[in-house]
Amino acid sequence: MNKPRIGVFVCHCGTNIAATVDVDKVKEYAKTLENVVVSKDYKYMCSDAGANLIKESIKKYKLTGVVVACCSPRMHEHTFQRVSSDGGLNPYTVEIANIREQCSWVHDDIKESTDKAIKLVEAAVAKARLLQPLIVSSIKVIPNALVIGGGIAGIQTALEIAENGHKVYLVEKTPTLGGRMAQLDKTFPTLDCASCILTPKMMEAANHPNIELLTYSEIEDIEGSIGNFTVRIRKKARYVDADRCKGCGDCAENCRLKDRIIDEFNLSLNKRSAIYLPFPQAIPLTYTIDPNHCLMITTGRCGKSPLCVEACDADAIDFNQKDEIITINVGAIIIATGFNLLDPSMIPEYGYTRSPNIITTLEMERLINSAGPTRGEIQLLDTKEKPKSITYILCVGSRDETVCSWCCRIGCMTALKHLYLIREKLPDVEINLCYIDIRSYGKGYEEFYRTARNLNVNLFRGRPSEVKPTKNGIIISVFDTITNKLFEIDTDMVVLVPAVTPREDSLELARKLKVSLSSDGFYLEAHPKLKPMDTATGGIFLAGFCQGAKDIQDTVAQASGAASRALTILSKKELEAEAYIAEVDEELCSGCSICISVCPYQAIDIITEDDKKHAKVNEALCMGCGACTAACPSGAIQQRGFKDKEIISMIEVLSK
Amino acid sequence: MNKKTIELAFYPGCIIQTEQYSYELSLRSVLPVLDVKLIDIEGFSCCGEPLKSVNRMITLVLSARNLAIAESKNLDIFTPCPICNLALTECKKILDNDEKMKDKINKFLAEEKLTYNGTNKIISILELLHDIISLDSIKRHVKKPLELKAAVHYGCHSIRPSEIGRFDDSEEPKKIEEILKVLGVETPWYPEKLDCCGGLLNMNLPETALTKTGEKLRSIEEQGFDLMIDICPWCHRQFDGKQKKAGETVAYNLNLPVVYLTQLFGLAFDIPWEKLGFNLNLSPVDTLLEGR
Repeated sequence: MNKPRIGVFVCHCGTNIAATVDVDKVKEYAKTLENVVVSKDYKYMCSDAGANLIKESIKKYKLTGVVVACCSPRMHEHTFQRVSSDGGLNPYTVEIANIREQCSWVHDDIKESTDKAIKLVEAAVAKARLLQPLIVSSIKVIPNALVIGGGIAGIQTALEIAENGHKVYLVEKTPTLGGRMAQLDKTFPTLDCASCILTPKMMEAANHPNIELLTYSEIEDIEGSIGNFTVRIRKKARYVDADRCKGCGDCAENCRLKDRIIDEFNLSLNKRSAIYLPFPQAIPLTYTIDPNHCLMITTGRCGKSPLCVEACDADAIDFNQKDEIITINVGAIIIATGFNLLDPSMIPEYGYTRSPNIITTLEMERLINSAGPTRGEIQLLDTKEKPKSITYILCVGSRDETVCSWCCRIGCMTALKHLYLIREKLPDVEINLCYIDIRSYGKGYEEFYRTARNLNVNLFRGRPSEVKPTKNGIIISVFDTITNKLFEIDTDMVVLVPAVTPREDSLELARKLKVSLSSDGFYLEAHPKLKPMDTATGGIFLAGFCQGAKDIQDTVAQASGAASRALTILSKKELEAEAYIAEVDEELCSGCSICISVCPYQAIDIITEDDKKHAKVNEALCMGCGACTAACPSGAIQQRGFKDKEIISMIEVLSK
Repeated sequence: MNKKTIELAFYPGCIIQTEQYSYELSLRSVLPVLDVKLIDIEGFSCCGEPLKSVNRMITLVLSARNLAIAESKNLDIFTPCPICNLALTECKKILDNDEKMKDKINKFLAEEKLTYNGTNKIISILELLHDIISLDSIKRHVKKPLELKAAVHYGCHSIRPSEIGRFDDSEEPKKIEEILKVLGVETPWYPEKLDCCGGLLNMNLPETALTKTGEKLRSIEEQGFDLMIDICPWCHRQFDGKQKKAGETVAYNLNLPVVYLTQLFGLAFDIPWEKLGFNLNLSPVDTLLEGR
C-alpha cells in the first residue's frame, strides 16, 4: 500500500482568517508533518484561482488526500470536494479544518489562535492519512410526486409539478379540494372573490392528465427515502359510487337526518344531512355519507329503507363499499396540510362560550359569504336581527406567552377586510376594532388599511381584558393608549380574531414522515432564511401554512418553490446515494440487532451468511445519521468517513 | 370509616376578631361538624399586608413570625381571610426560594426565639372545604338542602396573582360553585362574577369604592338572585356592612342578603342561626331565616 501523500491548503479568507491567524506559520508548520508533500496558502481558496491551485497540486504532487484549512465545512466542503474530484482525486479523501468559525472568528489573541489553527490542521492531516476513497452508489429516482393536502398550497404545488411532465398524487383528507380558501368570502387586499379564483385552479388540478386526485384519503404509512418512497394510502369509503354520482343532491334533500347534523364547513353555524357535499363547488362533485351519523351505517337500518337510495336516479349509493388501501411509489413528497384556528373557549375571559353573538373571524366570514348559512346576511346569531354595533378584537391568543406566542400574520388584514365588507352591507352599523398593532405589511396592504380607516370605524389601541355578555348587550372595557382614556364599549356582536395553530394531526404525520416540528408546532424548515421549503429529511418539502403563518400570496409563492425543489430530484434519473453511510464488519458483528432498533430509516437488516447471522446495511436507505455506530456495543458497524480510528487519530493530536 | 380530626392553627387576622365576627362564629360552629379542630395560639399579630406598599421588610417579618409561631407548634396554619392568606403565601414563596432573605428574616425572628423553616402549610378556606374535607364529607352532613339561587363572589385576593398559586383558577374559578351544589344551592354564572368589591379603595377613593360595591349588588339583584355568597371579610364589609351606603351612592334601593359561605353551611347543617352570626349581618338576611 502506497504511503499517503497529503496536500495542505490554508486559506486567508481575506482578513477573516488572516487577521487573527498567522496563515504563513500554519502553512510552514504543515510542511513539517509526516506524509505532507505540499503546503500552500492563498487569499481565497474557494475562488477559481484557489481551485486551480488545488487541482494543479493534486496532479503535480500525485496527492492521495487533501486538507483545506478554511471556513466551516457547511460552507465549502462541497466546493472543495468538487474541485478535488475535478483534479482527479476521490472527493471523499478531502478533510476540512475549520479555522474560521471555530478559530479566527471566536478568538482575539493572535498567538493562541495560530496555535489552535495549527492543532486543527494537524488533526485534520491525521484523519486524512486514514481516509479511504468512497465509491458512492446511485439510487434510481421514481419520477412521481406525492402532495399531502388539497388546499391552495397543495393544488398549486401539484399543478407546477404536473405541468413539468411528472405524475402527482394529490391526497386530501376531506371529501373535496379547496381547504381554508374555500371557506373565505373575499381575499385581501384586492377583494377578489375567493371561490372565483380558487375553483378554476381546483378544476385544473382535477382535470390535469398528470394529477391523480385522491380525496377523502389519508396517509397510512411511509417508508423509504429520497428518490424512492413507498406510501400506503387509505381511500376511505364514501358509500357513493364516484363514477355514477352526478352531484344532483336529491339524496341530501331526502335524507332522514336532513338539517340535523352539525356542518363542519360552516363551522357549526348550520346543519346538514348525513349524505352531503361540503359546498356546492366541491371537487370531485361526489356526495359522501358521514359514517359517524348515517343511521344505516351506525345502526344497520334506516327506517324501512334508506331514503337516499330511493331518491337517487343514478343508483350511486353503495353501502357495501369498504375502505381501500393502495400503495404508491414516489420520488418526492410535499406536505401542504394547512392549519387550524385556536378555539377561543380556552380563554374564558373573552366569553366565547357565554354568548352566541361572540364569534370568530372564520364564522363571520361564513356569515358574510352569500353561499353561507345566512345567505350573506350579517345578523345576530340568537335573534337574527341586524346588529347595531360590531366590535372586533385582534390577537385573541396571539402574541400571548400563556397561549400562542407567535403572530398569526393574517389577523389584522382579515379584520380590515371584514370592516370593509361589513360597511358595504350595513352602512350604518357602528364598527369598533381593538388592536395592539395593525400589521399591514404586504404589497397593497398599507393602502388597504388607509381605505378601511376612512370608513367611519372606531379603532382602539388596547387589549380588552374582559368581554362581558350582559342582558343589555356585550360590554367591553378597553384602555386606549393613544388617547390615554378608558373606554367602555357597549356592543351587540363581538368578533374574535383567534391565534393560528397547527393541525392536531401534524405530530402524527410528522412521525410517519420523520420530519421535525418547530417549537410552535408547525413543521420545521431546514433553514428559516435560505431553505424555507426544505425539511431536514431529504426528499420531503413544505408548502403553505403548515410550515408557518402566511397569507395566500406567500402560500402560492412557497408552493411553486416547493414544487421546484421537488423537481430538482424528480428531473434526475438517478441520485447519488449518501456517501457517509454505515457499513458492517461481518467478522465483528454478533447479530444483536441493537443497530436495527435505533435506525430511523429501517436501513439495516439481519441476514444469514455461512450459518452466521449479521447485520447488513441497505446502502440506498442509509442516510448516514450515525445512530447505529454510536449504539453498536462491539464497534462492528462503522460510519464511512467517520470511522473510530479516524476520529481517535484526531483526538490523539489534539490531546498532545 | 374513621376519619382523623384535622387540627389547624387558627389565624384570624385583624377584622374577623371584631367587625367581621360573624365569620369567626360560623367557622367555629361549622368546622367541628366536619371534624376540624381549630387551635388558638397566643402571639399572632397582623399579617403585614397593609404595610406592603410602605415597607416590604416589615411585611415579610410580620408574615414570617406568624408562620414561625404556628410552625413551632407543629401545626399547619388556617387563614380564613384571603388577604392574610396572600400575605403569608407570598412570604413563604420568597423565603423558600431566597436563602439570603430567609437568613435575614430569621435574624429578626431570633429576637423572639422564633425560626422560620418553611415546614408548615398555609390553608385557605376553599382548600379546606373543597380539597381537604372533600365534597363527599360535606354532603353527608347536609340535613336540609337549601333551595336558593346564589351569586358567588370570589373576591380578588383568593384568585390572584395566579403565578404564586391561589385557591382557584383566576379566570374561571369553580370551587365555591361545586361546594354550594352539594348544599343544594343553584349558582348560575353572571357577567359581574369576577368584579372587585372596591374595598381597598376605601381609604383614598371612598366614593369610587362604594360605586363598585353598589353597581355589583344592583346588577345581582336585577338578575333575580336570592343572595350573595362571599369568603372574604373585606368584601363582606363592603357588600354586607356598607350595603345601605352603597345603595345611596348608586341611587338604588339595595335589598340583597349577603352571607359568608360558612354561614350558609350552618343553615344546611341545621345549626341554629344564632350560632352562625346572622344577628351581626347588616344586609337583610331575615328572608333566609324564615321558619328557623
